Amino acid sequence: MALINVAAREIHCKIVYYGPGMCGKTTNLQWIHGQVPQATKGDLLSIATETERTLFFDFLPLDLGKVRGFQTRFHLYTVPGQVLYERTRVAVLNGVDGVVFVADSQKSKLEENVNSLKELARNIQKQGKKFQDFPLVLQYNKRDLPNALPVPLMDKYLNPFKWPRFEACAASGPGVFDTLKGISKIVIGKL
Amino acid sequence: MALDPQLTSLIVPPDETTRIEDVLNRLVEETGGNHALLLDKSGQVIACHGDANRQDTTALGALIAGTFASSREVAKLLREKDFKMLFQQGVRENLFIALIADQWILTIIFNKETHIGLVKVLIKKASEELSAILQRVRQSRRVRDDVLGASFRTSMEDTIDLLFRD
Ligand SMILES: Nc1nc2c(ncn2[C@@H]2O[C@H](COP(=O)(O)OP(=O)(O)O)[C@@H](O)[C@H]2O)c(=O)[nH]1
Ligand SMILES: [Mg+2]
Repeated sequence: MALINVAAREIHCKIVYYGPGMCGKTTNLQWIHGQVPQATKGDLLSIATETERTLFFDFLPLDLGKVRGFQTRFHLYTVPGQVLYERTRVAVLNGVDGVVFVADSQKSKLEENVNSLKELARNIQKQGKKFQDFPLVLQYNKRDLPNALPVPLMDKYLNPFKWPRFEACAASGPGVFDTLKGISKIVIGKL
Repeated sequence: MALDPQLTSLIVPPDETTRIEDVLNRLVEETGGNHALLLDKSGQVIACHGDANRQDTTALGALIAGTFASSREVAKLLREKDFKMLFQQGVRENLFIALIADQWILTIIFNKETHIGLVKVLIKKASEELSAILQRVRQSRRVRDDVLGASFRTSMEDTIDLLFRD
């Protein structure tokens, strides 16, 4: 639930990047951190294992400055993708306002994507919310790879509710900001 | 107005913010603690009192909320029903964390000179006061447009387009 502090004139929203292991969630945050103006971003905080896999979460605070007199802050999180960490994902989803579901476009990853999306639906429903109406966008990542599945096929398996959907190559940037803009506007619309 | 908790924001009006600050103030004074923080369960800082110039409050909020949420998952696995407080002991400073009505997280940071028993009692008292405030905030149901103004959304979208690009 977004938080509006009238006295401090501040608005806070929480956005979580969700998806299977290695689909590119951390890479999205790294790209955003590398590109937004200095004044907008805080430090990118990562709780990772020695081998760089996300252990708990990545966290990137963005400060959009004053909008109509309100200081607006977006907090971006990623979850650890490995199946093992479902409980950790539940913890990170606490109080979330919007989700980016990052899917790995590689053919061999389709089943992992489908399972991860199902798990997300379960976890959102457990918070007492309707998944179908939940603020969510999809990102089909790694479109640069030769074994990437055709978009219509991915839609068939991953996008039954016609969520806004973006193609991306998070490693080199294309699509990363379109995705972030997409989810941000939905979240703002629901404030 | 829709009561779906996801579709409505938690709007904290100025007079309640003042009351929250008073509670945190008193908690720090009475425990001799260094720092008190009130967080939303999402990790956002609602108010803080103490070492005023901490630069890392935002990250602290995210981490404490994360720790607390993760401990609750542990508690669930242990079939522990009523998990409401968490104590973290450091070399210099200790941390005591309490959950308020499943929505807010109260944290107090204190050093060796403060007795943990005292903290427990006072944090319980503060929790009750904050819980009453939270209940009022939830019930007040202010309409967003009254607070933000009707054109907020378009201005916000322009800002998003301006900042979120390569
Ligand atoms: N080819 C390609 N590789 C990518 C892309 N995005 C991320 N990767 C790589 O995928 C791997 C896993 O990325 P990471 O962000 O750590 O995944 P996470 O587990 O979802 O956080 C890394 O080696 C990235 O460099 C992409 O768009 N194209
Ligand atoms: Mg990661």
